[in-house]
Amino acid sequence: MKGLALVLIVGGWVMAVGGLVATEAMMVRTGAALAGLAVSLAGIGALNNAHVANAFWKGKAR
Amino acid sequence: MSKKRGSFAALAVLALLALATPVPADEEAPAVPLTTADLKGVTTPSADDLAKGDPGGSLTGSAADIVMADPKAGLTLADVVNQVGQNRIAINFVWTLVAGFLVMFMQAGFALVETGLCRAKNANHTMMMNFMVYGFGMFAYWVMGFALQQGGSAGITNLGGLNPLNGEFKLSLFGKDWGLFGTKGFFLSGGAYDVGIMVMFLFQMVFMDTATTIVTGTAAERWKFAAFAISTFFLGAITYPLFGNWAWGGGWLSQLGGNFKLGHGYCDFAGSGVVHSVGGLTALAVAMVIGPRIGKFNRDGSPNAIPGHDITMVLLGCFILAFGWFGFNPGSTLGASGAGNLRIGSIAVNTMLAGCTGSFGALLYMWMRFGKPDASMSGNGLLAGLVAITAPSGFVNTVGAAIIGFSAGVLVCLSVEFLERVMKIDDPVGATSVHGTCGLWGVLCVGLFADGTSNYGGSWNGVDGSVTGLFYGDAGQFLAQLIGVCTLVGVIFTLSYVFNVIIDVFVGQRVSTDVELEGLDLPEMGALGYPEFQLVTPGLGRSIEIGG
Repeated sequence: MKGLALVLIVGGWVMAVGGLVATEAMMVRTGAALAGLAVSLAGIGALNNAHVANAFWKGKAR
Repeated sequence: MSKKRGSFAALAVLALLALATPVPADEEAPAVPLTTADLKGVTTPSADDLAKGDPGGSLTGSAADIVMADPKAGLTLADVVNQVGQNRIAINFVWTLVAGFLVMFMQAGFALVETGLCRAKNANHTMMMNFMVYGFGMFAYWVMGFALQQGGSAGITNLGGLNPLNGEFKLSLFGKDWGLFGTKGFFLSGGAYDVGIMVMFLFQMVFMDTATTIVTGTAAERWKFAAFAISTFFLGAITYPLFGNWAWGGGWLSQLGGNFKLGHGYCDFAGSGVVHSVGGLTALAVAMVIGPRIGKFNRDGSPNAIPGHDITMVLLGCFILAFGWFGFNPGSTLGASGAGNLRIGSIAVNTMLAGCTGSFGALLYMWMRFGKPDASMSGNGLLAGLVAITAPSGFVNTVGAAIIGFSAGVLVCLSVEFLERVMKIDDPVGATSVHGTCGLWGVLCVGLFADGTSNYGGSWNGVDGSVTGLFYGDAGQFLAQLIGVCTLVGVIFTLSYVFNVIIDVFVGQRVSTDVELEGLDLPEMGALGYPEFQLVTPGLGRSIEIGG
């Protein structure tokens, strides 16, 4: 789960930079960058969820 | 009557002629080049006059003080112009060094804020992290961080050119050069043993140290000191310098303007991204790895407030930080003379305004939401405004600065709540929100609010003209800033996370439960911060009585 989340985080950045290389259309580039940022942030959310899922404060012994 | 009319007509004709006929004005006179012979006539105060003292200051500083290459030949034109050039560089050196000294003093502000927001039982440990982050970070930066960041940044004319820093490792992809890291200046040796490079190192080093000290606040009260030392070394040696190179060292982000026609490329005047976002995102990564403090969250996930032990310390620290920020932002011109550097006045005022509106925004939000003007969040609002204006400070006007600061003040409150209530991240000082969230916001604000009036020598990042944001007509600049944000979130966070997981596996990031409950001062540092106090941990029914 954590590995997948990291792939998402880096993948978002690849999307954003890939948009620059793929086209010169400003709208498409901006769209790719915004989508990439959303994917990266979703990845951070997933990574955090993976940590919280086993958090000690949920009652499991540390 | 007719005589009068005649005189009037004559005057009118003369006036018309005066308007119509080009007067041989001074500007049309051929410029006479100044020669060394002209300098012979320059009088200087006599020895007798100088011997009487100069209470009015009108005699001190004259042609007699210009250094002559050959005193026997007397003062020459070459002496004068060389002195003018050296004076410009000297002014810039002194400006940048003094600004760097101010930024160094911010370490004291961070130490007070973070220690004050922690419990008394961890005061020594938290203060020591803030103290030693200076040494660990600086060592790493001297060994390799500076070279990776600035090793290819030759051409900074404000500091005399920095010509020996002429090595940048680049990849050639898709027909473009992508600068990745510098290759000159390791240990400040070889050609880097240069007066201008020393000034640059000092200034960049204190910036890097600011980024490293952000993490100590988030991980306070549970971070193993050894893990902190290794993590700080990595941040100062690798993570920070990499992004610093991409943004400030001539790396690929700074070249987005030339390579992809995105405004002036990624612009980060004083480091909302390079310093604060890197520090804030690293803090977030460490917070995930290390987990929250015992007692922060209940089993249902609801958070508990764990108040700091000294709010006076916190607010004093905020004031010290605000003072130091006058080095951070105006100092980032790297000079006061020439190349549009007189904008330092505007930058200083923008900095002051954004801090002011930031604290106002946070205070207002907390007052409306919780019925009280919260002191620590007002302090964080001040810092949030300062963090957010750091990148745009050199490119925006005062109205833009005030809006950026106010929005950051509100944003930091929302971010603190989101991280705590939704993500279950425990950040004792709110550093992730102040520096991470508001740092990213500051980066975007360049792309929105830059008004196109700055002119630092006619170009920025090798692109002619002034940095201009979306609201003033350049959508490309906003996209460049967005790419910077994506890089911070996608690459820098990931690097920080992976490295801190490795530390966790091999060293362990977190102290034991017993140590955490007792407080880290004695077990980790060998001495209590407040040995004559009776320290009581509310709700745990435990107390430690030492000395007295």
